[in-house]
Amino acid sequence: MGEAPADLPEAAVRRFAEGAFTSGLTVPDFAACLQMGLEPVGFVQGYCVMQWQWYGMGGMGLGMGLGMGMGGYGAQYANTGGYSENWPCPHGMVSAEHRAWGQNFEQTWVETAWTEGFTSSYDRMVEEAASVGAHGIVGVVDTNQPLSDMGVLEFRVQGTAVRVTDGVPPADGRPWTTYLAGQRLAKLVEAGYAPVSIAAAVASVRVWANCITENLTEGSNSMYSMAQPGSEIDQTVKAHSVVRRLARRRVRDQLDHDSLHGAAMATTEHELGQGDAELQCILRGNRVRRFKGFDPMPAPVPTVRLL
Amino acid sequence: MTLPAPPGDGLPAPGPVDLKAEMVRATEALGRSAPGGSAPAKATRMMSDLSIDEELVLHSIGWEPIELVSGVSIHSVPMYVWNWGQGEIEYASAAYARSFARATERIHAECTKAGGRGVVGVHVEWEVHRHHVDVALVGTAVRPVDWNGLSPDPIFVSDLSGRDFALLHNAGWEPLGLAAGASFVYAPRRSVGTAVKQKGQNVELTNFTEAMYAARESAMERMQTSALGMEGTGVVEVKVTEGPMAFAHHAVAFTAYGTVVRLRAGEHRHVGARMVLPLDDPVLGFDATALRGG
Repeated sequence: MGEAPADLPEAAVRRFAEGAFTSGLTVPDFAACLQMGLEPVGFVQGYCVMQWQWYGMGGMGLGMGLGMGMGGYGAQYANTGGYSENWPCPHGMVSAEHRAWGQNFEQTWVETAWTEGFTSSYDRMVEEAASVGAHGIVGVVDTNQPLSDMGVLEFRVQGTAVRVTDGVPPADGRPWTTYLAGQRLAKLVEAGYAPVSIAAAVASVRVWANCITENLTEGSNSMYSMAQPGSEIDQTVKAHSVVRRLARRRVRDQLDHDSLHGAAMATTEHELGQGDAELQCILRGNRVRRFKGFDPMPAPVPTVRLL
Repeated sequence: MTLPAPPGDGLPAPGPVDLKAEMVRATEALGRSAPGGSAPAKATRMMSDLSIDEELVLHSIGWEPIELVSGVSIHSVPMYVWNWGQGEIEYASAAYARSFARATERIHAECTKAGGRGVVGVHVEWEVHRHHVDVALVGTAVRPVDWNGLSPDPIFVSDLSGRDFALLHNAGWEPLGLAAGASFVYAPRRSVGTAVKQKGQNVELTNFTEAMYAARESAMERMQTSALGMEGTGVVEVKVTEGPMAFAHHAVAFTAYGTVVRLRAGEHRHVGARMVLPLDDPVLGFDATALRGG
């Protein structure tokens, strides 16, 4: 067993030292793990609670609101270091209410906060597993949910720490992790993939609608629409494409030469009215590494279940 | 024609795989410092939202996933179109059709860029709002393992799972693309006379029934036309929705989409499913609920 990290609660150290294992695995998963030489060591978790405000963070909210009516001023606010794209109004000065400037930009501060929350809770779980001498963590579940209605988000990552019978401890001391457990993990290994880690990333893009986007989204037939009624809403579509692309790129950056397996991409849109929106795309999956050549298993036999 | 029988008489005995040894081998591979460099197959980084089961079944027919791809389109629906009128709400129907078409074009483009032959397991997310219709497609680009990148056939996009794709493949069929059709129709007002006559009675409101039929006919017709345009034989796994709009109760919508298929082989191949009789009774009153559940 490795040296327990100093900041692990003393009770946790004692509990892990007592001997009996705890596990979040179902009985079939547990059985499958034993069959493939994975011995559960302990149920490990990591938490991180983050202050969470996607709107107006970084002191930008107020400035944005004031800046919008004033033509080109909008541009400078979104200097976030990430993706940003201007959607200027083609009409020139029309009125104070006219949305003369539109912009899509990446809310890097949201992404940074999310990454911090996720990574901290993940690292804490891994640390806990390392302290009990685990080689890997299987059946990982990660959630994030509002802890209260005051802009507080709780990140939680949990899983079952395991040791590989006759296996080598991880070279860098950090256990490998995977969302999979049981038969699915067994099949992954049989297919020639080694689990490396879970991988997750978020991308957040804010749409400040320009006049055209506003009119198209709100269905207004303003004379300033400049677009045929029923046209495609280019600005929002672009944001949707970009937010997905960013999430993929973020995850790909974590992959090195490995692959992402069993990914799940979830995109949510908060409509804020008048064509404004905040898009968030979370992509997660299993980072896996091929450890043997392509070797398909025999074709499965189709069956019909008689009941 | 049937598929070659599985080895042996009973269910195939999977080759003796020493899972423990494989697991040890896998973890040793992780310890090597240069990721990918030492892997036997020079790593092609892939990204897939298929499950491991789906991937294995793709492997069994000689295909592999390569990249997660998506396509999105949103078309505007102008103001006032939901106000009570007569006949089809053409703007809404057109917005649905165009959004579907553009989203498909975009996922095609991403698939081509990734070097895929087609996209399987596409999640179709569509929403009709009062003033815009959104369509988002996310799926995994796939290709035959030994594919040289050249194919006379256009890229296909399909919402069939990896399992369904492999099953179709084995049966001699191929998917060609997604066909969609939608129609939004006003349920016309009843005349004053009819309304008075029907008051307080449980009778059929033929205006609604007829609007529903009109919407259905147009939508199914559009989906079918689209399928014929792809030279398909038919559409499988059609999903339909029908009913009034939440924000416009006097308008009914009918939407349909599915995967267009065509017989590739000379004739349909019997898959030869084996019958199994599970001997385990469902256990009631005890449910080993996973902490990973939900």
